[in-house]
Amino acid sequence: MGDILEFFEQMGFMNITIQQGIMLLLSFFLLYLAIKKQYEPLLLLPIAFGMLLTNLPGAGMYHSELWTAFLDANSPAYHSYGTIMREGGLLDILYIGVKAGVYPCLIFMGVGAMTDFGPLIANPKSLLLGAAAQLGIFLTFLAANSMGFTEAQAGSIGIIGGADGPTSIFLTSKLAPELLGPIAIAAYSYMALVPVIQPPIMRALTTKKERAIKMSQLRPVSKTEKIIFPIAITTIVALILPDAAPLIGCLMLGNLAKECGVVDRLSKTMQNELMNIVVIFLGLTVGATATASSFLDWSTIKIMVMGVVAFGCGTAGGILLAKLMNVFSKEKINPLIGSAGVSAVPMAARVSQQVGQEENPSNFLLMHAMGPNVAGVIGSAVAAGILLTMLG
Amino acid sequence: MMTPLAINWSHVWLVTGLGFCMVIALLVVLIFILKLLGAVVSSAVKDPKAAQPKAIAQAPAAQAAPAAASADDDLAAIAMALHLYFNGVHDVEPTEIHIKRVERSGWNSKLYGMNNLHR
Repeated sequence: MGDILEFFEQMGFMNITIQQGIMLLLSFFLLYLAIKKQYEPLLLLPIAFGMLLTNLPGAGMYHSELWTAFLDANSPAYHSYGTIMREGGLLDILYIGVKAGVYPCLIFMGVGAMTDFGPLIANPKSLLLGAAAQLGIFLTFLAANSMGFTEAQAGSIGIIGGADGPTSIFLTSKLAPELLGPIAIAAYSYMALVPVIQPPIMRALTTKKERAIKMSQLRPVSKTEKIIFPIAITTIVALILPDAAPLIGCLMLGNLAKECGVVDRLSKTMQNELMNIVVIFLGLTVGATATASSFLDWSTIKIMVMGVVAFGCGTAGGILLAKLMNVFSKEKINPLIGSAGVSAVPMAARVSQQVGQEENPSNFLLMHAMGPNVAGVIGSAVAAGILLTMLG
Repeated sequence: MMTPLAINWSHVWLVTGLGFCMVIALLVVLIFILKLLGAVVSSAVKDPKAAQPKAIAQAPAAQAAPAAASADDDLAAIAMALHLYFNGVHDVEPTEIHIKRVERSGWNSKLYGMNNLHR
């Protein structure tokens, strides 16, 4: 009889709290969005399942208290991965990859191996649009400070405006690991909502005439340029901003493997197997950080609100700079491509194409928008490096 | 969380202003480098052309014209395909099904023999 009672006492049903119940419902909702609505399912599904696993009472797969002790200079477990390996659960062990900043860099390697920087090389001015779209990061940093977050936390919240999941996770794991769950979920949720968030801002800031501007065809880019590009960018960015080297270096390594044409096996592995494995680990562990105690908090709601603000400001920044460039430039550019300066590759470029075609069905902006889009990836990694240097 | 009074606003403004300017400045540097790269590579590509024998360099313009025309045709075809794809316009398939009369030929004789010749 005693054994039966003990069994019942150990059941999760007997130990579940209201907060954990809410988190389980939230994870079910995110799973619904991932499966039924297909909002960034490759990431949202593992994130939601990680959230489900971590909030199951008694499962012991993730221990937030271990990671609190890991960050506490007075604790014997301070910066002790051995303690994590000895006492942690499956998700604690996988989380080491996030904590050490390994997964975001590996994902960047895969992103680089899948990205064609040709439109950016053909039209280097796109980099300006990618830079202007980082405005959201810094304005949100300012706003988050005024709302009572510390500077490190504000920097991590601001980086949501870069619309770049791996960069958000990389920076947050370094600056404000306690906010990793809400920030990662906000970043990926808003990336999935780019087609909803961006078009009203794009229409509000441009005239019909501007949206109908046709751009001249991009020049062809030689293979030599595509090979030299990742080497040159890595060298220059890492020499100017060493903190951005892990992200930019991995991005460009992946791209070099793709473009050089002599390591096809490595390139395919980066694009497929490596990328998929890391996405599973990253999604699961980031979701696992969304425990009831850390997630059900006013700060999460503030982060969600500021995430939208960051996205909106980034989109507006890119469009406004494109309009400004039109004032000084002979060759007009369609301001809609400026909104693609937030990373979100290639969804933001696709949104530019769709909104442009609403005005002029024969206008094809996709390749032009890919320039600012991939410039945004570089820009957000650079912004992360700058914030890490100044706040880390 | 920090109270507004505890915030070092001068540092916050510094990070905001300097940070954004640094992003712009770094990417402007990259623009110059990309332009330089493009100029160097294109000049390196042009040189071998200059060194080509005159026979090839002086190829009749008539040979180049069809190539340009075919490139235009390709672009027109791609543009039309994209236009049709994005507008969801495509051939409307008739949904009516008709019975086709089977005719004798060397290709369908077995089928014809199995079905139609049993009278």
